[in-house]
Amino acid sequence: MLLVIGNKNYSSWSLRPWIALKMLGVPFDEKRIALRRAETKAEILRYSAAGHVPILRDGDTVVWDSLAILEYLAERHPQLWPADRAQRAKARAISAEMHSGFPHLREHMSMNTRKRYPGQGRTPEVLAEIARIDAIWSEAKGPFLFGNFTAADAMYAPVVLRFRTYEVEVRKKSYRDAMLALPAMREWVEAAEREPESIPELDLYG
Amino acid sequence: MQLVIGNKNYSSWSMRPWVLAREAGISFDEVQLKFDDDGRPRGIDRYGVAGRVPVLLIDGEPVWDSLAICETLAERFPEKQLWPADPRARQVARSICAEMHSGFQALRGAMPMNIRGRHPGKGMTPESRRDIERVVAIWASCRERFGGGGPLLFGRFGIADAYYAPVVTRFQTYAVALSPAAQAYCDAVLALRAVREWMDAARRESEFVPGDEPYASGHR
Repeated sequence: MLLVIGNKNYSSWSLRPWIALKMLGVPFDEKRIALRRAETKAEILRYSAAGHVPILRDGDTVVWDSLAILEYLAERHPQLWPADRAQRAKARAISAEMHSGFPHLREHMSMNTRKRYPGQGRTPEVLAEIARIDAIWSEAKGPFLFGNFTAADAMYAPVVLRFRTYEVEVRKKSYRDAMLALPAMREWVEAAEREPESIPELDLYG
Repeated sequence: MQLVIGNKNYSSWSMRPWVLAREAGISFDEVQLKFDDDGRPRGIDRYGVAGRVPVLLIDGEPVWDSLAICETLAERFPEKQLWPADPRARQVARSICAEMHSGFQALRGAMPMNIRGRHPGKGMTPESRRDIERVVAIWASCRERFGGGGPLLFGRFGIADAYYAPVVTRFQTYAVALSPAAQAYCDAVLALRAVREWMDAARRESEFVPGDEPYASGHR
């Protein structure tokens, strides 16, 4: 199995399936493509015509888009969604909400794992989106959103790193701490900090 | 089961699960909330926690977001085969729906869904053209690889067709010129009974939502 991802410092979409695979304990090869370089597009197109990371290749099956990859993994590893049907529907709802929503947070608090931008990016729209995430997290059953780690936690993992970068406080600190303490999360963060590339237009605040 | 939706003329997100359930013969009660001028569905706070349509209520419990609703229906009604049965086809179907769910921002912004509107040639920017080319490439690839059993993306009707149905109506509204193969797919979608029913109801709606009408003249 091959997972094609972008820069660990910047690619929030890539972190989601990556951490899900790590938490499932599924062995996989990783192909990292540095984003926003002259050759980036052509490299990604070798794996998927959609032209975006992440991409999962499993034998002759190619799955692209973070949420589709998570559903693909959940077919083989059902523990990736909550076992209870109603809880599973809710987990899918908050995952899909994250997948298509929170545009202001994405724009003004883009993921930048190794940076610290305390207080930056807090427009009224961003604050409203933070409040929504805070409300979702405050219902976490503990240690993760639905007890054990699920795809919903994978979907929100990049937000955990954003809130670390921008030093956003939340009510449910135990959830944030549980996510940051995951060995897989630490591995991602350490790799991001070692990455040589930087993308000036994504280093929003210097 | 209740499905809470917005205006049929404008709400592309609502159209997807509605068309899916209706075309597949899954019965539900429709609850329609009309958009305020700011695009917020009036009365949504009673149903959804995310403040948006669509919301599916199962035994009173809300499931929000069109993609989560589609996945949940697929899981609850496996006999309807809302996703393709073939695993490879199913993963492509999931990928293209997820791609639509989080992407195509330029197309959405420049060509908002407006079923009764006619704005030929409007909204064609370099960015929206790229999105359209990607949509057409997705259709061509699905039809070629998996479309043998019928006129739809994976032959028979499923979530992927429901997901791309709003784009089909956009191509009509903005008179986007398409290849014969792409036009044939659009015609197949437009011929679906549930799509016709939705569009007929949309044309009967009279509410005007300024945020979805960038090309209207004579209004305010």
